[in-house]
Amino acid sequence: MRMNKKIKTNRAQKNKSPMYYYIYDSFLNEKTYQTTLAKIETRLTDLGINGKINRLSFLKNIQQIIFEEAKRGVKTLVVVGNDKTLGQILNIVVDLDITIALIPIGKNNHIAQLLGIPEGEPACDILSSRIINHLDLGQINNYYFLSSLVIGSKQISLECDNGFWINLEGKNNLITIANLEKQEGISIDPTDGKLNIIVANQQKKWFKTRTIYSYFAAKKIWLDRRKPVSIFLSDEKKIVKSPASINILPKKIKMIVGKNRAF
Amino acid sequence: MFKENQPPAHQGEADTIIGPSVKLEGDFITEGNIIVDGIICGTVKTAKNLKVGHKSKIFANVTADNALVAGEIQGNVKIRGKLEMTSTAKIFGDVKTDILIIAPGAILCGKCQMGDGKSRSPKPESVKQGKIDLDTHEKNEEEENENEQKNKDKQSPKK
Repeated sequence: MRMNKKIKTNRAQKNKSPMYYYIYDSFLNEKTYQTTLAKIETRLTDLGINGKINRLSFLKNIQQIIFEEAKRGVKTLVVVGNDKTLGQILNIVVDLDITIALIPIGKNNHIAQLLGIPEGEPACDILSSRIINHLDLGQINNYYFLSSLVIGSKQISLECDNGFWINLEGKNNLITIANLEKQEGISIDPTDGKLNIIVANQQKKWFKTRTIYSYFAAKKIWLDRRKPVSIFLSDEKKIVKSPASINILPKKIKMIVGKNRAF
Repeated sequence: MFKENQPPAHQGEADTIIGPSVKLEGDFITEGNIIVDGIICGTVKTAKNLKVGHKSKIFANVTADNALVAGEIQGNVKIRGKLEMTSTAKIFGDVKTDILIIAPGAILCGKCQMGDGKSRSPKPESVKQGKIDLDTHEKNEEEENENEQKNKDKQSPKK
């Protein structure tokens, strides 16, 4: 009887405790990152939040691995890598009930900065403190994004919320459609249920360059153009061609964030 | 060295900034503050404040809580609170507002209605009780004037 009770309590503890699953990006196989990874793993063990590790490679199917682990009851998926790694994982786990965490390593860690997660070993403490926020997720055609999209082209027309059109006149317009971003003093909140459109217009006069900003908020955006426009996804460093339907999925993902987050 | 970026003006205050390179068409309805420096065609509605820059042009009916206009508006303007027109402001349309401030040099072409029409001062009690009938009072005054003229006419031939 006592043994049965013990087993039951152990199972209950397992169910309560957030099961961690770590996914390492393939670029972390390089020797330069070995010491950092060793430090991170030691710290995770000290904090008691270590778990199964999976190192990505070209031969592995990430989607299949994550679905299998989700079935096994993994509650927290920790992405060890950069913005690109997180972008790839987000596109897979959108419909799963999994909390996502990030341990940033290497270059291109803009999202981690915005989420208030420091690079390397200190990120383990953020992970252990478990401040979970429900964040919005942007969607462009079949791709999901957390941070932003960038469009740079002449004479673009954006249809917003099926109500109004934003027509850009003149040259040197750079459009950023952002869910999570901090740009020139504008910090965008990924929990407000809106996409923010920032238009930066550069005006050149003699030796001076002046940037004037326009700022809008919308839930649905439609980009149509006779000539296809390249849309750059900041998360995955990927290019998508227009026509494109862009919308926001409010409170779609659960993410562990730091105290020093930008929103 | 030569790069001089202008920070997004009034970012904390404004939820929407329409810059000079932007032309907005359609029904623009928002709950936040709006700053317009570009062109708008259609309808503008906000539950908060509207600021229209001196180079901006709005070809639309405008509804807002308070407004500061320095540019051009072609359309009817309905403001719940205060409408302030600077010296460069031009409004071609009917204006309905509670408080109106117009600087010298501003142009307003259209009907202007201020207040809600209920704030008229009450009639004196003597009028209410019927002691003074305003219509008859006017008639009496006319009769008195006629009598005075007759008296003058009578007096003049004596001279």
